[in-house]
Amino acid sequence: MPTFPPPGPIAGFCDRLVAHDLPDLPAGRRAEVVAFAGRRIAAMPTPMRLGVGVVSCVVEGAGRLVGRTHLTSFLARRPLPVVGEYVRLVRSLVYARVWDAWPDTSPTGGSSVRPPGFVSPISPTPGGNGDTNARVTVDDE
Amino acid sequence: MSGATEVLVIGSGAGGAPTAATLAEAGFDVLVLEEGPLVRQGEVTPFSLEQMERQYRAGGVTVAFGLPSVAYTEACCAGGGTEVNSGLYRRPPEDVLDRWRTRYRVADFDSAEVYAICDEVERTLSVQPVPGAHTAPSEALRRGAAALGWRHDEIPRWMDYRRGPDARDGRRRSMTETYLPRAEAAGARVATGHRVDRLVLDRGRAIRAFATRDDGETVTIDFDHVIVCGGAIQTPALLQRSGLRRHVGRNLAVHPTVKLAARFDDEVNVPDDVPVHQVKEFAPDLSFGGSASGPGLAALALSDSWPRFRDAVTDWRRLAVYYAAITSEGRGLVRAVPGMRDPVVTYRLTRRDRALLGRGLARLALLLLRAGATEVYPSYRGAPVVRREADLATVGATFAASKASVMTVHLCSTVPFGEHDRSAADSFGLVRGTGNVHVNDASLLPDAPGVNPQASVMAVAVRNARRFVEAIKRAR
Repeated sequence: MPTFPPPGPIAGFCDRLVAHDLPDLPAGRRAEVVAFAGRRIAAMPTPMRLGVGVVSCVVEGAGRLVGRTHLTSFLARRPLPVVGEYVRLVRSLVYARVWDAWPDTSPTGGSSVRPPGFVSPISPTPGGNGDTNARVTVDDE
Repeated sequence: MSGATEVLVIGSGAGGAPTAATLAEAGFDVLVLEEGPLVRQGEVTPFSLEQMERQYRAGGVTVAFGLPSVAYTEACCAGGGTEVNSGLYRRPPEDVLDRWRTRYRVADFDSAEVYAICDEVERTLSVQPVPGAHTAPSEALRRGAAALGWRHDEIPRWMDYRRGPDARDGRRRSMTETYLPRAEAAGARVATGHRVDRLVLDRGRAIRAFATRDDGETVTIDFDHVIVCGGAIQTPALLQRSGLRRHVGRNLAVHPTVKLAARFDDEVNVPDDVPVHQVKEFAPDLSFGGSASGPGLAALALSDSWPRFRDAVTDWRRLAVYYAAITSEGRGLVRAVPGMRDPVVTYRLTRRDRALLGRGLARLALLLLRAGATEVYPSYRGAPVVRREADLATVGATFAASKASVMTVHLCSTVPFGEHDRSAADSFGLVRGTGNVHVNDASLLPDAPGVNPQASVMAVAVRNARRFVEAIKRAR
């Protein structure tokens, strides 16, 4: 049965956004993070999924006209109304996942050296989910 | 599949669990249906992404639409929010109870009775301050407030400290550790993995619930009485799906918050706990506290101004995340839309709310500088790195709520109780226009209490459950 939003445009956009923001993130981690963001978006409440679906289709259509990589780079730098919320959502899922799973990651996505004896405070969770304080938040009160 | 019960309780959180225990102990046949799974404490790391995956609705990706949108969370597990939050406990202030009594005309709502119930709840949940050492981020809040002469205190939590006296030794006395076992011991049945889709009403009385089990099978439950305790989003949505719409879902009240990250010279990051100190100098309008700060959440706090802030993420062990929360004049809506599984949620901040968020963020940054932070990173697009008090003017000049990551974890007031003209339920939670549909959760609170609402929710829930028991026994 077809799903909405279709996963292809979101995964493609997410992949390009990660490549833009975190160019040094290893390919395997990038693929895992993109899959993670896709899962979380697919599990969002219906109204949010519909909204994200519409915006992702608009972004995909515009990307076909002006070039997907070019458009992603533009959107990553310019917080446009509505579309900017889509970027923020994807970005927040990605960042939460990257630093939750690999806290030693450098700001560009590369692996930095772990301090001797360092143990990740939170276990990586394959198949886990994400959190954003922009679009996802944790109940810490 | 079908079943029957005398009282159906929908939801097992701070409203549902005490309700189920009170009714079961009074001899009622009680069935609790909980949508989420049972996840025992210790199975997942607190405040981790795994916890969000397993115990939050939609993994925590939930938003009230607006300008700006307000991110919120709902637990979706046995025990509800008490399983995933910090366990901070604040009695409803006397002025709040008085306001509910007078402005919202909640009848027979005696403060002495409410506080007597709070005493019982506190004993059951072992509400207490940390007997030993506080965490470094909590100490920073206390230190900064003390330096400024601002009113601050430690908020007690529902914890036991048998493992040790320090803050991180505490074990949460949540609903799955307290009221739900009590309910089961008194004969209540608790079924997880059951989402109630709608209630069937006949001449003002609900007679049956249709639910969907985790495996997709439809379940019908017949009952004499139903008490809906699904929280401030799911409760009004279920009532609306069942055709009960009068004043339902119209008055969503929250405590909007904005956050920042602060960098210190020492390692302060505590991934699996949150500070217990709060600053109440400007309460009830403004409150400051500490947030979960694991590396993923620290990265999030930096993400709105990533190009400027990103280098700080490598130093996450020296970062802690804090929030400024406001008492909002804005209100929101919860609307069930036919054909959609989930409701549409909206929230509108007023101009005063937006300005207050900005002032709160600047004051919180000041407090953390006084606490010894070397750099502060406010969570909004275009924010400056705050290194000295002179930088705070830039925060004031550049902050806009529309650029900020606004969020909340306190949701209430979507089925307000009382005798006022916009109440959706009477003073004991009976939904207007029905003979046996009750609500008994945060939805009932007429407005946001300005403090963590779970103590208020539990006190009101026990009060209403006792009144329900008396009324039914009298009728018999």
